[in-house]
Amino acid sequence: MGNQKLFKGSLQTIILKLLETKVKMYGYEITQKVKEITKGELTITEGALYPALHKLEAEGLLDVEVVKVDNRLRKYYKLTENGKKETVNRLALMEDFLQTMQQIVNPKLA
Amino acid sequence: MKLTKEQIQQLYEFTRKHYVEHYDLQTELVDHLANDIEQIWKEKPNLTFEQARSISFKKFGVFGFMDVVSERQKAMSKRYWKIIKVFILQWFGIPKIIITALMFLSFYSICKTAFANYILLSILIILSLYTFYKGYLLQKTLKNNLKKNGKKWMLEEMIFRTGMGSFLLLPINFFNFINIFHKESQIYTEWFSLLYAFLFTFIIILFYIVLEVLPKKAEKLLMENYSEYIYL
Repeated sequence: MGNQKLFKGSLQTIILKLLETKVKMYGYEITQKVKEITKGELTITEGALYPALHKLEAEGLLDVEVVKVDNRLRKYYKLTENGKKETVNRLALMEDFLQTMQQIVNPKLA
Repeated sequence: MKLTKEQIQQLYEFTRKHYVEHYDLQTELVDHLANDIEQIWKEKPNLTFEQARSISFKKFGVFGFMDVVSERQKAMSKRYWKIIKVFILQWFGIPKIIITALMFLSFYSICKTAFANYILLSILIILSLYTFYKGYLLQKTLKNNLKKNGKKWMLEEMIFRTGMGSFLLLPINFFNFINIFHKESQIYTEWFSLLYAFLFTFIIILFYIVLEVLPKKAEKLLMENYSEYIYL
């Protein structure tokens, strides 16, 4: 799907945004949430999700909490203080980018 | 339908077979596969565990878990260096800065003697030998830990393999450094004395942290960095 390529570059921002609205989420939950919000239009591939999460964690933007659920361990991610600030920055960048794209794609509307 | 304890153990085994060696990453992938299998069962309840697992695994693409593993290693390496940085900074704060300053002055004084090359090379030889000896002991400890716990942690492996061995060869590179710049002159200039004093002080602190401090604090560091550690 062509959309997936456009989507890939925004993956980290999407994860941050989702975690901003919900206190903590685990990997699988994130994939399902994106599917639900976009009505199946976009899907996060497993091979891209975890590297993105681990990168954000290494950058100190996400914190991890492991909880025992059913008979297994579940790793929850939540925003750190730095993560909250960075989410605001990245969302602003995304807004700017979308506006710029709008000017190129649809100059009359912009 | 929920997965049984035995099926969860089978998923751990499955990740191991697909080159995920570390327990921290295995745990995350096992939960992911388990969630997905349970979801698949909701839509197709007739599938067996193995069939549902196979559908779920295919979603990771042709390389399976390999991308996830390599990216996780990069992220963990970043964290390892961050930990080292925290310990290094302690040597530039009170009270340890006194020892750092004394070390720096000692190396500076050595550089000002006529035997500077010999002394510095001797220090490097001792440091190299010690690094290899300590590296061997740490590898042994890592193997014993694995035998005892049956679980391998990525950060633990980095600590005991001294950043996957990257530190073992560092002193040897310093030999070349000395040889290149000092083939003829025996007395170091002011700038070289300052530079060498700094480099030697830094390398001694770095190696002390990597070879001595981190392995001793491994348990505490693992607890700080892995919240799943408490469930063991």
